[in-house]
Amino acid sequence: MHVVIVGNGAAALSALESFRGHDRDSRVTLVSGEQGPAYSRVLLPYYLRRRLSRDGLFIRRADDYARLGAATEFGVRAEGVDPARRVLELADGRRLGFDRLLIATGSSPMRPPIPGLDGAGVHTLWTLDDAVRLDSVFREGARLVVLGSGFVALQAAWAARQRGLQVSVIELLDQILPRVLDPAAAQILSERLHACDVEVRTGTRAESVETDRGGRVRVSTSGGDRLPADAVIVATGARPNDQLLPECLEPDRPGIPVADTMETVVSGVYAAGDVTRGPTARGGPREIHALWPTAVEQGRVAGANLAGAGRSYGGSLSMNVTEMFDLTVASLGQFVEDEGDDVFEEHDRGGIRYMKIVTRAGVPLGAIAMGAPEGAVLLGRLRPFVRHRRALPDLPAFLAREDLDGRLAHRSAAKERTSCASLQ
Amino acid sequence: MRIVAVDPDACVACRDCEYACAFRQSGDFARSASHIRVNFYADERACVPLTCMHCEDAWCLAVCPAAAIDRDPGTGAVTIDATRCAGCKMCLLACPYGNIHFNAETGVSAKCDLCGGDPMCVRACISGALRYVDAEELADLRREVVDASLKRLLRLSKGVR
Repeated sequence: MHVVIVGNGAAALSALESFRGHDRDSRVTLVSGEQGPAYSRVLLPYYLRRRLSRDGLFIRRADDYARLGAATEFGVRAEGVDPARRVLELADGRRLGFDRLLIATGSSPMRPPIPGLDGAGVHTLWTLDDAVRLDSVFREGARLVVLGSGFVALQAAWAARQRGLQVSVIELLDQILPRVLDPAAAQILSERLHACDVEVRTGTRAESVETDRGGRVRVSTSGGDRLPADAVIVATGARPNDQLLPECLEPDRPGIPVADTMETVVSGVYAAGDVTRGPTARGGPREIHALWPTAVEQGRVAGANLAGAGRSYGGSLSMNVTEMFDLTVASLGQFVEDEGDDVFEEHDRGGIRYMKIVTRAGVPLGAIAMGAPEGAVLLGRLRPFVRHRRALPDLPAFLAREDLDGRLAHRSAAKERTSCASLQ
Repeated sequence: MRIVAVDPDACVACRDCEYACAFRQSGDFARSASHIRVNFYADERACVPLTCMHCEDAWCLAVCPAAAIDRDPGTGAVTIDATRCAGCKMCLLACPYGNIHFNAETGVSAKCDLCGGDPMCVRACISGALRYVDAEELADLRREVVDASLKRLLRLSKGVR
């Protein structure tokens, strides 16, 4: 059997390793449009923040692929699939026959319909090349406008601010991080951004971007302002790279729909990671969960099933965590309540600035924690209850058991540095 | 491989394991630096030391976006490479037992590494609650415990004391 994996990110690597756990003999070829061993896109902002070196971004060594018995085709884009002949068409004209195929092509930055985004001063933060380019743009005193306020946008803003740039963030919706935080948590983070001299404009549309001959940029906003800048980063979300096999798609819906086995409607063709529209832990319609942990989970199932293991995916559960402006920001599952849900909220308890747990009939559905890193530990303890819909009847007792007041307060007191202090 | 087995019934909540671990980690006795945590529940009169179980299928290891978590070939311990850890905290969210902690001073995640095969918590344990045992032996121990409680329940259900 010849298995072909298209992609070299979290889903592809997880699938390759999982496949080898079941099948040590079959031929495997991994095809990636980008060069070299895998690097982690999640880490790119850490590189810009000078937290990691360029070498630190790589999560596999060149010889890891051979160790896993996979031939590699790096720097060659896959252009299409002939599902009848079971052939993958490569950009250099070669055709690669396969018995089973995994599409783990990931996603690309969304390009909102704003005139002028093709200008030289407009960047994305998605690839290693992007990060290296931005590294030279991040000069002290330069002005940066960030379009969007998701994790990539705000981490870019934080990195830029730490390196002494003047930063404005423009968000179309009325709050920052709309997919990760509720309005109350977003408000706390917004205040932190303000305190760190990051200008945040929510409810604002970027109407156009003009780049002049000197490379300077002007962003016109719906508020009627024209913001001068040295660079613009577009970070308004991602869309799946789902065009490899259009036969897999539903009309007018992005993302390759997959069954619980991660198989697409084309037999023997699987998909995993950002490119898929997959089952979720809470049931209901399939969703695109373009998150690292989801890609790892889906890749595991897909890899096992490429080897015929007959695994079924329990569905993705959104989990987000990062540090921004020295605040740990974490959320899990459904953290905005529907009618009839109960909400448990805490403010300024221990090192936690804000914590919210949404429950329905005693079952936790999701949560947010902001502040000390212990909030992420707490959400981790809560995660099995959310994933397996296990009731947690006495939430205050659970939290007391987690010793939120005692050790937490003690631990967080050790770190009383504010984000602004660390900027200087 | 061997792991640190915990017998909550034997634990007396002296916290010596925490001090031993903290000293090993930081050269100081601030318990906040310890990777083993004794949860003390006064109402239930119970104390449970919790430390990494070095899961066979370790989710923290699989999910780390920096490939900073690996298995030590010698001890089998799930370990964090502090030079690779970016401090993203994904492992904190991934561990269902709350056994990974964040070191705010160094900005990286930290967890039990079995002290390279000679765990200080076990050395310091005064009550025999912590033992460094083979994982398979632990499975037998667990079976004994489950057997005992099953027998107790059966006796109770039959009205036998």
